[in-house]
Amino acid sequence: MSFSAVARKNTDTLDRRYAILGTVLIAPTVLIFCSVILYPLVSAIYLSMFSIYTPTLEGGWVGLDNYTSLLASGRFWNALGNTLVWTVGTLVLQIVCGVAVALLLNQSIVFRSLARSLILFPYFLSTVVAVLVWRWLFNDLYGILNHMMLWAGIVDMPVNWLGAMPNAMISIIVVGAWKYFPFVVIAVLARLQTIPDPLYEAARIDGAGPIARFFDVTLPQLREVLTVIILLRAIWDFKEFDLIWLMTGGGPINSTQTLPLVVYQEAFGLNQMGMASAYAVTMMIVMLAFMLIYLRQTRQKESI
Amino acid sequence: MQRPSVGSRILVNIVTWTVVLTVAFPLIWMVLTSIKPQSELFRIPPTFLPQSITFEHYWRLLTETPFLNYFRNSMVLSVSTTVVVIVVATLGSYSLVRFRYRGREALATLVLFTYLLPSVVLIIPLYLMMVGLGLSNTVFSLVIAYTTFALPYALWLLRSFMAGIPEDLESAALVDGASRIGAFVDVILPQALPGIISTALFTFILSWNEYLYALVLVNSDSVRPLTTGVMNMLITSFNIEWSLLMAASVMMSVPLIIIFAFLQSFLTRGFGAGAVKG
Repeated sequence: MSFSAVARKNTDTLDRRYAILGTVLIAPTVLIFCSVILYPLVSAIYLSMFSIYTPTLEGGWVGLDNYTSLLASGRFWNALGNTLVWTVGTLVLQIVCGVAVALLLNQSIVFRSLARSLILFPYFLSTVVAVLVWRWLFNDLYGILNHMMLWAGIVDMPVNWLGAMPNAMISIIVVGAWKYFPFVVIAVLARLQTIPDPLYEAARIDGAGPIARFFDVTLPQLREVLTVIILLRAIWDFKEFDLIWLMTGGGPINSTQTLPLVVYQEAFGLNQMGMASAYAVTMMIVMLAFMLIYLRQTRQKESI
Repeated sequence: MQRPSVGSRILVNIVTWTVVLTVAFPLIWMVLTSIKPQSELFRIPPTFLPQSITFEHYWRLLTETPFLNYFRNSMVLSVSTTVVVIVVATLGSYSLVRFRYRGREALATLVLFTYLLPSVVLIIPLYLMMVGLGLSNTVFSLVIAYTTFALPYALWLLRSFMAGIPEDLESAALVDGASRIGAFVDVILPQALPGIISTALFTFILSWNEYLYALVLVNSDSVRPLTTGVMNMLITSFNIEWSLLMAASVMMSVPLIIIFAFLQSFLTRGFGAGAVKG
């Protein structure tokens, strides 16, 4: 046996041993994924073809009936419409405020790191805390927001922020933007710091003012990171439950009821688990388009 | 760079700080409300700064409500979730980055997919599973449920940290006669430690703030974490005591403030968009 053949044999066994070691290391992950993510995901699809009464967990096969009655109901389309209004509204606010604040924080200001901390903190706060604080601000009798607006003469009657439309929708959109725009700030700020100065220098020499410099230099440089942010935030806003449920509970009547809230209410309020699963699966199908675009984007960038 | 004039610099400072203070106002108001006496809360017009400072709400929160109990549950829950997830994800991400085997790419895509998956899709089967296993109303059931979002998140984050460690370091150790496991312990782990710690802190925050699973899987006060527990204080009270709730909000945020201080340098150093989950 020649020397190289021995060496090859050795690397072969080594390769095989490495492959085994790699499989062993990933095994716990695969096990957990299969039991708590993949299995529930498949059973959600399976459950959506049954009619199940939650307290007794009894029921029978109904095939696609849940889906047909869901698509024929006003409840689904109302919730889908609300979800879209909420997602688009809060997403646009998050992006606009996020980019604007990132631009401001990128300037040299006094106590810059303190300013950054104060801006970023709402993002790390529990949604429960955010909701409690805002419900206190929105309080119709003693809330500071109504007092300030009365005092400034903007309104002559206290505003009912959460119990009337379109106020309730606007309120949750604003609170959502307040809670989640720091995510945009973090990502945009990081990207802003990598834009080379000579680009601005060149634009200045060409006689571009601050506004022209923003549109001609900054925005094109931010395009890639903004695409990722918009996709991620669109997905996360679309599936938001805590904030809306705790702010309005879907009310007044059903006017802020989004799809995640319907799933919860069908399953644990109306005790219709099968129907709730059908809603959940339909919701996921709507989201799938965004998820696939994001997956493709990210995996593509990695392979380069 | 052309230096901006003094006037425009002052203007930028004023505008920026106005924006910062407006954004921070709800939080400032939360703290101020929590230290005002109850009587001052309902004064019209309201006082901005408290005329007298009191800590009675904090005292009542700790002695007369189950707050401390909720706090302990949240601590146990978040620490357990973080430990389990970090151990599994560290090994898993090392394997995903440095080993070649069939199905590796598919698995990486699956991780990213589950990272985006809505909790409401998994909640019904998970609820049925916990009832079936007789685990409903235990902290353990919440740890299991929390891995569904924490594990994909930690894996995805750690994967990018692991990929950033130069492969040469590991090869050098292997040439020196170290085993693959030895190289992992002596070379990879120390290099990845900052990444592991920050991932652990982010995972802790996610678990600390989770609400939906806790709402569905747990309904007894002895296991309830802070999120559902404090919300329960709001729903079950006859007349809402806002100062007490604001004190609870402040106390609930204290661990986050401490962690946030640690993560600060990390966040401003420029962290990609995938790092922070919403």
